Amino acid sequence: MGRRSLSGAEWTAMIMTGALNLSRHVDRINALNVFPVPDGDTGTNMNMTMKAGVAELERKPSEEVGKAAEVLSRGLLMGARGNSGVILSQLFRGFVKAAAGLREIRVAEFAAALQHGVDIAYKAVVKPVEGTILTVAREAAREGALMARRTEDLVVWMREVRRKAAETLARTPEMLPILKQVGVVDAGGQGLVCLYEGFLEYLQAEDPAADARLAEARAASVRQAQQEVPDGRAESGFAHAPVQAQIATESIVFPYDMEFFIRRTSPSGPFPEAEFRQALERDGDSVIIIDDGDTVKVHVHSRRPGDVLNLALAYGELTDIHILNMRQQHRGIIGGQEGQGAGSAAGSAAREAEVRQPVGVGSGAGGWGAGDPAAGDPPLGMEAATGILSPDAPRPAPVAASGRGAPQPHFHAHEMAPYGIVAVSVGEGNAELFRSLGVDVVLAGGQTMNPSTEDVLQAIESLAAEHVMVLPNNPNIILAAEQAAKLAGKPATVIPTRSILQGMAAMLAFLEDEPADVNARRMAEAAERVVDGQVTRAVRDTKINGLDIREGQYIGIMGKQIVSAGDGLFDTVRGLLERMMENGGDVVTVLTGEGSDGEVTRRLADWLAERYPDAELEIRDGGQPLYPYLLAVEQ
Amino acid sequence: MAQVAVVTDSTADIPAAERERLGIEMVPLKVHFGEETYLDNIDLTPEQFYQKLKAFSGLPTTSQPSPADFFEVYKRLADAGRPIVSIHLSSAMSGTIQSAQLAKSMLPEADIIVVDGRSASFGTGMLVVAAAELAAQGASAAEIEDRVMQLRKSTRLYFLVDTLEYLHRGGRIGKASALIGSLLNIKPILTIDDEGMVSPLEKVRGAKKAVARVAERIAADFPGGPVDLTLAITPGFTETAQELEERLKNTVNIGRQRVVEIGPVIGTHAGPGTVGVFVLPMQV
Repeated sequence: MGRRSLSGAEWTAMIMTGALNLSRHVDRINALNVFPVPDGDTGTNMNMTMKAGVAELERKPSEEVGKAAEVLSRGLLMGARGNSGVILSQLFRGFVKAAAGLREIRVAEFAAALQHGVDIAYKAVVKPVEGTILTVAREAAREGALMARRTEDLVVWMREVRRKAAETLARTPEMLPILKQVGVVDAGGQGLVCLYEGFLEYLQAEDPAADARLAEARAASVRQAQQEVPDGRAESGFAHAPVQAQIATESIVFPYDMEFFIRRTSPSGPFPEAEFRQALERDGDSVIIIDDGDTVKVHVHSRRPGDVLNLALAYGELTDIHILNMRQQHRGIIGGQEGQGAGSAAGSAAREAEVRQPVGVGSGAGGWGAGDPAAGDPPLGMEAATGILSPDAPRPAPVAASGRGAPQPHFHAHEMAPYGIVAVSVGEGNAELFRSLGVDVVLAGGQTMNPSTEDVLQAIESLAAEHVMVLPNNPNIILAAEQAAKLAGKPATVIPTRSILQGMAAMLAFLEDEPADVNARRMAEAAERVVDGQVTRAVRDTKINGLDIREGQYIGIMGKQIVSAGDGLFDTVRGLLERMMENGGDVVTVLTGEGSDGEVTRRLADWLAERYPDAELEIRDGGQPLYPYLLAVEQ
Repeated sequence: MAQVAVVTDSTADIPAAERERLGIEMVPLKVHFGEETYLDNIDLTPEQFYQKLKAFSGLPTTSQPSPADFFEVYKRLADAGRPIVSIHLSSAMSGTIQSAQLAKSMLPEADIIVVDGRSASFGTGMLVVAAAELAAQGASAAEIEDRVMQLRKSTRLYFLVDTLEYLHRGGRIGKASALIGSLLNIKPILTIDDEGMVSPLEKVRGAKKAVARVAERIAADFPGGPVDLTLAITPGFTETAQELEERLKNTVNIGRQRVVEIGPVIGTHAGPGTVGVFVLPMQV
């Protein structure tokens, strides 16, 4: 006779085994992405999301399944990356509903949890597409409901759920033509099957073995966390102007970066979040409050840490208190004490960085990729320094702009701008372009590393603005951005921009004097008018749209379609541009990235001037990795 | 009753010939190139100004007329027994109107109405010209004031600048707006709002598109009816100005058109290459 119920700890161990199995298959899942372009990040996104959930469970273990499910759900929600990550976070919210108030979970509740999760996820996705993780989850949940009437044995039940999930996954190419064309199954669905396999693995195992798995899962997740810091930092080692030096240490108005938890002693009713936030903002900024029921996570930049702690004590016991002096940090950076900033800062502040990973050392920062080791990230020090800028100067001058003699912004604490704008982008040049267009926070992220819901949330919260506009600039970031906008403590609107150049077009349509709904409409319309193109290299052989593409060849993508391919960069870009210009165009914008070629760019300009003499051409150095050329045609 | 005298300042950019024809009194602002001071549109023609601007290493500055400058003009007109309507550059951009008010308070017996045109360049200019025409028809000072305020509501003005840097440095546009498009070839379409402040209406890519949008906007503002249209340009008639003139001819029903030059003071704050269009319905 197998298991009939799971305690909170056992359920947690099961989740962790699932997460571990997922992490083992990240590369395989990444390789399943349908487009032969280097955006194979579904596995990475799902893994990062699960890791955030597991980290939260490790921090706040519970013997009660109901509580553990809440902890996991919160962790997943905050760590959600990419579309697949957000969907995953929604699927697991089903447990919160099904296991509410329960110490143990049995087959009936497990089945209900899967069904609730599917319902919630379908609601969260604007246009659910069949043949994806959603279909796999739905079919598995349906099977789970059926099986729950036949067995109370969790192992038997889970085996059938996993089988159905795998079966459905195998059928995804029949449902989604693009999958069939490329000859793969859905990546997100594969990730879910990996999780279910891990669950089954745990349930089937004898207890001691399961414990060993649990230990291994923990060790592995810690190992991974440690690995990522140095790797990412090493990649971001390109030369940065010491922008920190442009900011006076004294201009940091609220020098104490505080983070702590309130364990509520007598939680009668919900935590008075608005009231507490107001109290903190009276003499502080970058306030983030996450109410988790009996525990409340608080983040604030303050002048008087003692006052903040006293204030918080009124609500309960304080735990995990971290206070950093950002002025000291800043002096360290400009004094060069932290050497190259990035690498050694991670080392010297290793403990803090590790403990604070979800929020990051530059937390108030609006988390420029805090905990996000994507290439192109500013070094750790810059996160902190730039973060100081954003809350006080809602529309800072482009501090990184070189040689334009941009006037130094004056910081006025508490001054509310009507708008704050957050844009996700990759590449130094593109970040500068966005700032020149009026974007306040440029979050590092793109195809290969999507910022999490929490990263976006922090960026929103870091702005002293009445309304925040968010430009995700990537289809895989839209959902996470929307989650963040929902969670934000101030009105925030996501403009569903799908590319960097759509984001720039949206910024052009933005007018500070107009109300938010008008701006949202104008910006979305402007983005829609852009014909989008990107040039990159294929990461595998494929046949698509009548093109025979070999790994390593250049491919030109218009919107979502590959329209040109070949060994020559110039010919590929030209082929793409011809397609983009089919319906005419007045303005052509080219952002050059890594792998672009000055000679090719020059030939391109000549060719455009000759072929389309009436179009205005603008070429700027965007600096994005993986895409030698990003293009846009506007009417 | 003597004919109402119409007074303005040099920033209205009314051509000297038209000023003389309509008997408009003009009090000049001042332009300073370092130590040298020039009277706007008097000591310095637009052409001379833009040449000096090119050669000068720093940036010129401007200053409003003194109350005494206004007092002198008002006194002369009041002594001749004439009521005065004095229409000026937006108080949101300049202290010129302060000087006019002070001068008025120094002449308690005189009949002087000081009007904030809440505009600049020929935006003020077209109100002044209309006022002078009414005065010539024998309208009273109060009637002229009423009509001018009404007229202001039915006018439209748009202008394009080569760079927002001049407006920004002179503090005539918000910092946020000034940063827009410093790295991409972005042309904001500017206007002067009801408060008399420079404000961006929309941002478009490239001068060609900007010109097309201005013409479209005017066509939409004045559907059908003929308009009285003034193009304000910097000397040399830039390519953008030529394109705009051409576009307007094709899209707008123009009843009357004139071209004026943007004078030194406005030029100091808008920069070379600025082009403006000032439109009001034809008076029937």
